[in-house]
Amino acid sequence: MTSWKKAQSRAAPWFLLPALALLAMFVVWPMLRAFGWSFTNADLLAPEQARWSGLDNYSDLLADPRFRRAFGNTALFALLVVPIQTVLAFLLALWVNRPEPAWRWLRAAFFLPVIVSMPVLAVLWTILYQPAHGGETGLVNAALSLVGLPAQAWLRDPHLALPAIAAMSIWQGVGLQMMVFLAGLQGVSRELLDAARIDGATAGQRVRHIVVPALRNTIVFVITVTTILAFRIFVQPYLMTRGGPGNSTLTVVQSIYEITFLSQNLGRACAATLLFLLLVGGLTLLQRRFTREERT
Amino acid sequence: MRSVRPAPISAFLFLFLALVGTAGCRRDDPAAARVPLVRVWCHQGQEAENQAMRAIAAAFNAAHAGRARVELTFFPDFQYNEKIAIAAAARDLPDALDLDGPLVARYVDAGLLAPLDAWFTPAELADFLPTIRTQGTIDGRLYALGAFDSAVVLYYDRELLAAAGVEPPPAGRGWTWNEFLAACEKLHASGVEPVAFHMNESADEWFTYAFSPVIWSNGGQLISSDGTSVRGVLASVENIAALQAWQAVFKNNYAATDPVDPDPFGSGRTAMDWSGHWMAPSHVRTKGAALGAMPLPRVGARSVAPCGSWCWGVSAQARHPELAALWLKWVTDPQHGIAPIVRANGAVPARRSALALFPEYQNLPYRLFREQLETSAQPRPRTPFYATLTQRFAGALRDIARGDEVAGRLQAAEREVQAVIDRRRPAAAPAAVSSSP
Repeated sequence: MTSWKKAQSRAAPWFLLPALALLAMFVVWPMLRAFGWSFTNADLLAPEQARWSGLDNYSDLLADPRFRRAFGNTALFALLVVPIQTVLAFLLALWVNRPEPAWRWLRAAFFLPVIVSMPVLAVLWTILYQPAHGGETGLVNAALSLVGLPAQAWLRDPHLALPAIAAMSIWQGVGLQMMVFLAGLQGVSRELLDAARIDGATAGQRVRHIVVPALRNTIVFVITVTTILAFRIFVQPYLMTRGGPGNSTLTVVQSIYEITFLSQNLGRACAATLLFLLLVGGLTLLQRRFTREERT
Repeated sequence: MRSVRPAPISAFLFLFLALVGTAGCRRDDPAAARVPLVRVWCHQGQEAENQAMRAIAAAFNAAHAGRARVELTFFPDFQYNEKIAIAAAARDLPDALDLDGPLVARYVDAGLLAPLDAWFTPAELADFLPTIRTQGTIDGRLYALGAFDSAVVLYYDRELLAAAGVEPPPAGRGWTWNEFLAACEKLHASGVEPVAFHMNESADEWFTYAFSPVIWSNGGQLISSDGTSVRGVLASVENIAALQAWQAVFKNNYAATDPVDPDPFGSGRTAMDWSGHWMAPSHVRTKGAALGAMPLPRVGARSVAPCGSWCWGVSAQARHPELAALWLKWVTDPQHGIAPIVRANGAVPARRSALALFPEYQNLPYRLFREQLETSAQPRPRTPFYATLTQRFAGALRDIARGDEVAGRLQAAEREVQAVIDRRRPAAAPAAVSSSP
């Protein structure tokens, strides 16, 4: 028994080696390179001519109104998306958490947008959001006019474009979180729920005092993942508004893309990416501090 | 159960990965190995265009059997420039490569391209359209040459104009902006959509390419002539006036911003189309004799046309520069290169001797394409900052079309572009000490 265990622990490094080597080559080494470049004026087309520039890239970025706007927009997007998407996913999961086979269809329907390619959805929603022109109008505005509300130029109005994209993103992503909650709901004790029902607890009380505490770890996971995904927003605004109107839907990832491939300023791009990593990483840690997982 | 022997498995895994990694590089044909290989990169176009490129390369290989062999690699055009940038960073550029015309200045600035002057005789160069030579000339040296050029004109439907009582200008002449607006007004009143501006184009380049002429026609510029400053240039009085005139088209609902009709003449409800040579075949087919074409309307004194397209350069890191130049001569040769590619993509042949091979250039609208390129076309600015400039300018145009105040929006774009330029200055001028605060 012990010799078998010894052999196992002798063998372990060999099994780890391929994975560690690949991780080092494709994750650790590039990150170290990026960290190094972020203190230089490296040009994407000629990085070997890079010269040391200290903290210039960082201080420039923090002072750049466009980059700050991108951070503000992205934070606002996350602020809109994370709470709404989490609550909505939770409510949807409670709703479709039924054993009868018919509910499977509804679960599939809510999950469908997750597996459709994002560019396709972006084009689709651009059409849905279309303002009225001549006899044609987008479905969203048509629906608004049915209930007597005025039509809006959704993606063209600097105040509406970001919320409109957030609404679309929530619709797209909510299915995934719903699935995670559904999986969590299977672990909630039936006996406890039945006992509570017999004791006269209302549905609301059962959710508040039994389901939510039981799903605590799931909720923490969903909030964390949704936050990270929300900060990485890029495709929807890039395809639907190109960051406009003005810079009202410019995101951090889009501005990193621009610094890398349009200005081709590798040093700055690395600095921007590391700042972004720092922010998202810091936020995630902060969240976990306040919503600590329960370990049993 | 015996314990597993991990070392052989691990070694096997490494070997497997190594084999997978190099599988793409293996070449077993011993005869081909002796002939120098010219690596050529090319953006992916329409399927007909790609097939024409493959045929051109095959003909090159047949004609140079034993001397040189071209290996053509296609990349999707929406990430082609990113691909070049990454390859340049990794010192992995091919011998010859297809380039987007306005980006040549940036590649020259980074030292990626070799000058072509030595490979072409003055007589050969004189055969190229002036716009193509200008597009590829940076600081007095030639770095890129194309097989084709492009053109944008104002197509119109003679019948719809006549029905609205609009008199088109005499052949070869364009309207002033006020004449253009007056025509739009009459067409609008007659119940048709006056003009299509293709505002739904997803590519930023359409906006800079198609509408910079409005600014140029008023004596304005996008960036200083040396390509290093937009301060006081991008938001100049001339540009503001020109784009206010341009905005009037949208304010009066003469052109749609969205939704728009991708084939405005197909529906028969649009009277004029501000569009490129690529629409000519379908417009000729749809409208027949009713199709007219005139130069773009001008805000100031002179009508200016846009131009420029994909072109070819030789990498400064080329292993076989002389063979890469041989390939460039082949793709820009009227018979071997220009004729097949132009038949596939419908662009304007870049050489006068090649234009003679296309009888349609005797007639409108094709005749106008050539006239413009010979006399009134202006390449987009040749500056290392073009990629940023075009993106921010296109963003400004989109917002202005949707009603933003022109001066303020142009000033915002000017500030953003200048900020990008200022940041690069220390790298561009080694003498500079440190960046400004």
